[in-house]
Amino acid sequence: MATIGNNNLNAKLVLLGDMGAGKSSLVLRFVKGQFLEFQESTIGAAFFSQTLAVNDATVKFEIWDTAGQERYHSLAPMYYRGAAAAIIVYDITSMDSFTRAKKWVQELQKQGNPNMVMALAGNKADLEDKRKVTTEEAQLYAEENGLFFMETSAKTAINVNDIFYEIARRLPRAQPSQNPAGMVLVDRPAERAAAGSCCS
Amino acid sequence: MFGTQARGEVSHEFQPPLMQYWRPNIYTRRANIIVKFQDLYGFTVEGNVDDVNVLNEVREKVRQQGRVWWALEANKGANWYLQPQISSLSEGIGVAALKLSALANSITLKKLIRKGIPPVLRPKVWFSVSGAAKKRSTVPESYYNDLIKAVEGKVTPATKQIDHDLPRTFPGHPWFDTQEGRAALRRVLVGYSFRDCHVGYCQGLNYVAALLLLVMKTEEDAFWMLAVLLENVLVNDCYTDNLSGCHVEQRVFKDLLAKKCPRIAAHLEAMEFDVSLVATEWFLCLFSKSLPSETTMRVWDVLFYDGAKVLFHVALAIFKMNEEELLMTSQIGDVINILQRSTHHLYDPDDLLTVAFDKIGSMTATTITKQRKKQEPAVMAELDQRLRRLNSLKMDDKPDSPRE
Repeated sequence: MATIGNNNLNAKLVLLGDMGAGKSSLVLRFVKGQFLEFQESTIGAAFFSQTLAVNDATVKFEIWDTAGQERYHSLAPMYYRGAAAAIIVYDITSMDSFTRAKKWVQELQKQGNPNMVMALAGNKADLEDKRKVTTEEAQLYAEENGLFFMETSAKTAINVNDIFYEIARRLPRAQPSQNPAGMVLVDRPAERAAAGSCCS
Repeated sequence: MFGTQARGEVSHEFQPPLMQYWRPNIYTRRANIIVKFQDLYGFTVEGNVDDVNVLNEVREKVRQQGRVWWALEANKGANWYLQPQISSLSEGIGVAALKLSALANSITLKKLIRKGIPPVLRPKVWFSVSGAAKKRSTVPESYYNDLIKAVEGKVTPATKQIDHDLPRTFPGHPWFDTQEGRAALRRVLVGYSFRDCHVGYCQGLNYVAALLLLVMKTEEDAFWMLAVLLENVLVNDCYTDNLSGCHVEQRVFKDLLAKKCPRIAAHLEAMEFDVSLVATEWFLCLFSKSLPSETTMRVWDVLFYDGAKVLFHVALAIFKMNEEELLMTSQIGDVINILQRSTHHLYDPDDLLTVAFDKIGSMTATTITKQRKKQEPAVMAELDQRLRRLNSLKMDDKPDSPRE
């Protein structure tokens, strides 16, 4: 549990997913241990941070919780650029949200940091009787695409801390430099102007 | 209070404990505890005793400002501020004198508006100075009611999203937690989504429309304020499709920050902190999610009179006010915390507006229009390139690929 020197890691984490899938609720549960039946809709994105101790290290997550509406898609690269991890969230009671999640996965595979740790979260797992997306289907998809998968419930707290712990465990360690951004491998120094062409 | 209402008439005779002083008792004064209370517009505020004192001072200032407006009404006649445009005056010998008096009025009005419109006069003044009145006068009187009747029961992607967001718009607010409140907000948003199908519904508008409803006396007026805001006051395409207008504004804002607050801009750039990370929400919600309600209203007072450049003034001021602290940061989280704490506690609107207009200095509408023109092609190219890349993703798709 040493928390010094190279064992401290800052990791940028982004949550992506359809509107109302429960991104903000997952973060609120993880960061504050709370759940609100009606969580204010997120505009742009909201920022949170939370530190976890995992094995021999502490991981400080810098979390970007993004807006889910389709048209906000054009803002997303600003938030996932340089992210060390992503949680792609869908709502198990909505097939559309699962479809949307797959799109996010594809986009991150192409545009995101190649070493990004990606997790797929099937949220609202407490609503079993309204389920539209089977666990098997999502599990299979996750395996095929190299993600790890958990069904979560921000409401009952099931698997919420676990998914963040699992990400923390999987983050690449022993970064040669202690860069606060976690990863800057593909980032160019120039900012917006270059953003359009920095596909790698 | 929240009784049944005829459509179009917002029933919020919504009088939160208006102008009530909250007197901290000896215990709260001793222990600096956090208290919860309702502000002028019914929002729950959590603050310490200092915050409460500031809010009470602000209420007193609002009252004084009200007296100034009443005195002017007595002097210049009721509705003096609803002066017609100079151009609409007919010719004649009196024209020069009329022009002069109109000019004098408009100078007075500009100053007065900067100091705040009294809450009771807001509906009337906003409706006039924003151009909403003029906009409504170009269509038949029954426009809004007809529109609402025509779209009743229709289901579109926009209405679904609106329904989803209704209970998530200022949850905990005493009026928006009622059936009536949500129904009124729904009609305004759904109505607008049909008026402009390019905008449809964009998240963020729920907060804007909600505040408009709280201020304007009727649902219909809130609708027209929303219309004039999106169609005339703000830059085009802020809320459409890929939010291109919003992207343009963000780029312009970055340039302005570099010009007006060069030290902050340089420091944040060195940290690889993109100011859009925080400013996007400010611009899309017009500060309604960040600033205390009366402060937001004061920003909107100026916004409706002076136009969209006000948003730049205010955003720059927020950075400027926190300059020293921001320059000490080395982590992104700290920057965000400083800005959030600062905006949430800006209970005295004058603190903000003084910096926004006196310290930031003037920016003409023409300069900003030029800046926008300059940024547009870059934004379009970026969005276009992104779209093409996403489409190429689709082409590599496996057969069971997602639809749409």
